[in-house]
Amino acid sequence: MRKLEEVLRDWEAVIGLEIHAELTTLNTKMFCGCKLEFGADPNTHTCPVCLGLPGALPVPNRAAIESIVLAGLATNCDIEKHSMFYRKNYMYPDMAKNFQTTQGPVAFCMRGHLDLDVDGPAAGERIDLDGLAAGESRGNVTRTEDGYVAHVGITRIHMEEDAGKMVHLGGGEGRIAGATHSLVDYNRAGTPLIELVTEPDLRTPEEARLFMQKLRQIYLAIGISDCSMEEGSLRCDGNVSLRRRGTTGLGTKTELKNMNSFKNLHDGLAYEICRQAEVLEEGGVIYQETRHWDPTAKRTIVMRVKETADDYRLFPEPDLAPYDLTDEFIEGVRAKLPELPHEKAVRYAAAFGLSAYDARHLVEHRATADFFDACMALADAGKDGAAFAKPLANLVINDVTGYVNTHDGSDGAPAGFDGVFARLTPARALELVGLVADDAISSKQAKEVFAAVIADDADPAAVVEERGMRQVSDAGAIEAVVDEVLAANPDKVEQYRGGKTGLIGFFVGQCMKKTQGQGNPKVINELLAEKLG
Amino acid sequence: MAATFGEMSVRQIQAGLAAREFSAAEVARATLERIGAADEAVHAFLQVTEDLALAAASRVDAAAAEGRLAELGPLAGVPVGYKDNMNLTGTRTTCSSNMLRDYVSPYTATCVQRTLDAGALPIGKLNMDEFAFGSSTETSAFGPTRNPWDLGRVPGGSSGGSAAAVAAGLVPVTLGSDTGGSIRQPGSFCGIVAVKPTYGVVSRYGVVAFGSSLDQVGPFARSVEDAALALNAIAGRDELDCTSQPCDVDFTANLAEGAAGLRVGVVPAFMEAAGLTAEVRAKVEEAASALEAAGAVLVDVELPHAQAAMSAYYVLGPCEAFSNLARFDSVRYGYCDPGHADLGSQYEASRERGFGPEARRRIMLGSYLLSAGVYDTYYYPAQQVRTLITRDYLDAFEKVDVILAPVAPRTAFKFGEIGDPTEMYLSDMFTISINIAGNGGMSMPVGLGADTGMPVGVQLIAPPFRDANMLRAAAALEQVFGPAPVAPAFADGKAGE
Repeated sequence: MRKLEEVLRDWEAVIGLEIHAELTTLNTKMFCGCKLEFGADPNTHTCPVCLGLPGALPVPNRAAIESIVLAGLATNCDIEKHSMFYRKNYMYPDMAKNFQTTQGPVAFCMRGHLDLDVDGPAAGERIDLDGLAAGESRGNVTRTEDGYVAHVGITRIHMEEDAGKMVHLGGGEGRIAGATHSLVDYNRAGTPLIELVTEPDLRTPEEARLFMQKLRQIYLAIGISDCSMEEGSLRCDGNVSLRRRGTTGLGTKTELKNMNSFKNLHDGLAYEICRQAEVLEEGGVIYQETRHWDPTAKRTIVMRVKETADDYRLFPEPDLAPYDLTDEFIEGVRAKLPELPHEKAVRYAAAFGLSAYDARHLVEHRATADFFDACMALADAGKDGAAFAKPLANLVINDVTGYVNTHDGSDGAPAGFDGVFARLTPARALELVGLVADDAISSKQAKEVFAAVIADDADPAAVVEERGMRQVSDAGAIEAVVDEVLAANPDKVEQYRGGKTGLIGFFVGQCMKKTQGQGNPKVINELLAEKLG
Repeated sequence: MAATFGEMSVRQIQAGLAAREFSAAEVARATLERIGAADEAVHAFLQVTEDLALAAASRVDAAAAEGRLAELGPLAGVPVGYKDNMNLTGTRTTCSSNMLRDYVSPYTATCVQRTLDAGALPIGKLNMDEFAFGSSTETSAFGPTRNPWDLGRVPGGSSGGSAAAVAAGLVPVTLGSDTGGSIRQPGSFCGIVAVKPTYGVVSRYGVVAFGSSLDQVGPFARSVEDAALALNAIAGRDELDCTSQPCDVDFTANLAEGAAGLRVGVVPAFMEAAGLTAEVRAKVEEAASALEAAGAVLVDVELPHAQAAMSAYYVLGPCEAFSNLARFDSVRYGYCDPGHADLGSQYEASRERGFGPEARRRIMLGSYLLSAGVYDTYYYPAQQVRTLITRDYLDAFEKVDVILAPVAPRTAFKFGEIGDPTEMYLSDMFTISINIAGNGGMSMPVGLGADTGMPVGVQLIAPPFRDANMLRAAAALEQVFGPAPVAPAFADGKAGE
């Protein structure tokens, strides 16, 4: 099979996503008062309604309607004031009523969009932007200095209920094939679910991944879901088809499932694009089918072929009156809309002079953005905030994120952003970057101080004091060390002067060693350059 | 022989309890005995709930002993029976279907709970057409109920058991449900007061659904006042049914007002309808004259789209039923055909054997009508017809307070007399449009038909949420025709000999 970048030269991929999010932050289910709780004993959070017992009736959860309206406002959707619930009829044991309550042609949220900033290597998959200058647009794409912005349409976001969870026993790895028993846990049945459907506006697996990442950040920021792709509270299906470059028709699409991480979403789509290209290039036919991404085997396999469209016999749910949202309700929800991650990133860049890269990484997690905001608020109260922004951003992006990615709490050390920020308070963070700015410690020493702050729950200044880590910046004291190093290595000095300038690292290292790591590298570098020059 | 408790009115029972002439426990035990003796002939009851009745009775007696009888609700000490599509914790709720032959309710329907809260003695569960699909109770998987007025004839349906139990004097009050006429038509066939309130007056929570947008619960009794008292107990907003509405009306309030000044609509097209028998037509005319004589003003009103109601109903009803009955799949409860290796064949066999022919017919009809390509041809136009019929009624009620009409085109027919399903469907030709529009309707007994000698009810139709209007008109007719008698073969404690 050819590589993706080669395939995309000949073929254009047309990708649309269907993204389900469970509204896990709500207390109760969509149509009954049962508690929402992940991991409870099977079938302990059930009642006649979510078990679909004869005679039971649904009552909509108002908080869930608020959540979906919030999601719609955050993704630039029109909020439909008048919409209805529908019954989607199909028989399967995980759906106790044998119909799913969902929405019809008019969903609560219609016609939205998200703009994706694509730059760096991610922009490389898009090969059709040649000849486009920064600021120029083609289709849904606008060129930027270092990449492009893709305008991705959102068809709708509708409200529905989740099904129960099936567990198959006796077969391999919980699969239904070969199973002797199937068990159903209805704790999840009736969990409020919102499904976002994009327009087929995505063209590369990177765009799909970025869309999903951006949407996840938004959902986390507005607090409607924990968005755990592993636990399935955020799930993504992809529809993909190919067409020859330069043509506008639509090819037959396949639907891809089981892309339960950003990597799997990208890799699954990339594989599927290459697979379809190979089939088409060999004169074959793409069948409309549902395919399962197997991340271990790194390929997609057929789940089922859709010979005819499923007939779900959709009709208006007679047990639920049409839903009329008032302006007052919608404006009340709008008032709860927080500053969204991409809006924050723009503000960070404008207000603090951060690079787009730094700003984007700061807002990647709600915890890091909140922490950064708290630091800057505190800094503004004291010294000039903007001066701290870049070193603070580095601290958060490199040290904090690096720590969180490598600590799972199994050794008893703090884990997760919550664990880190419980010890690295905004005041301590400012103190730490202040120590570096004042040349009291080197940035290398700062890493050690950071580790100690987290490990010992100590103030940075106290760590510096306790470990005698004061950086030596006094030029006189350092000059003596520099002279000593140069005198001890006359041959290397000769080589350096002969053009082997790479030896500068050796001299710096020797000086650092002689100052027990406390010499200010900046001063050392300056003196070395002066004396060797 | 003295009147049995089942022959007494609600007020009579409560007066006796207040005067300590008898206890609620005696009422419960005597009623259970009476059912044991007389129901073999009628087969109104599918089960009696002796323990529940006696437990409720002891609560009523305890209250009476403390002088708190008046604090209990409007049904204190009154034996009440429930159509077997109503959930009552610990009882079987079968819907007269093999599918639910052994299904035991783990919760209680709101309408049932409200009767219990009002002091009722839950005496048992009543036979019906399977899942309420029928007009004769002949589709019950557990055998038909017989009409107490003539055991060779049907009691009507689908709430046939609820109607027959009251007509035979076994209990003073029962509850039924009405999707296209299932309260009113058996009420007419059995000669008792039968009320289908406006959609939304009574909660549907816990009543096994047939057509969710059409179903409504209502009472059967032998007097208008008893029906109104029962309605007082069960009506009103229920947080568990979001289609239920607030209702703080005392339905007994204007029963004594008489018909003076009441504007009564008569629909000429109904009176001239093909299939309306002469004896029923004569009775409706007699009722109209009686109301006029009592001071009512008769006004002709038109319901131009009413003739399309039957067609719309046999689209909307089966569509909703198809979906509502999908849950009976043999997996969690209900009949499960044994020995199947795969889910598909278990579904198929369990539903084929668990459901009777009429249920299967409606499920298949609904499945077809909702399928892609067919939906737009039937379901959507049916909803449009629904809007037109609703407007017809609203227009008519600009001119009148209540409409007088036939309930059924004829009196109770003999078992097996109607075999063709579509002919059976015509039993509901005068009742269906009221469910389509959603307003209230009731059957009021006005004596026996001249030709068959069987009871005839006239239908009184009220504007939405003005159910008190029809109860007032019914009370005026009751003044003329008298309260509904117990069927002669069961009067004075007789057991149908």
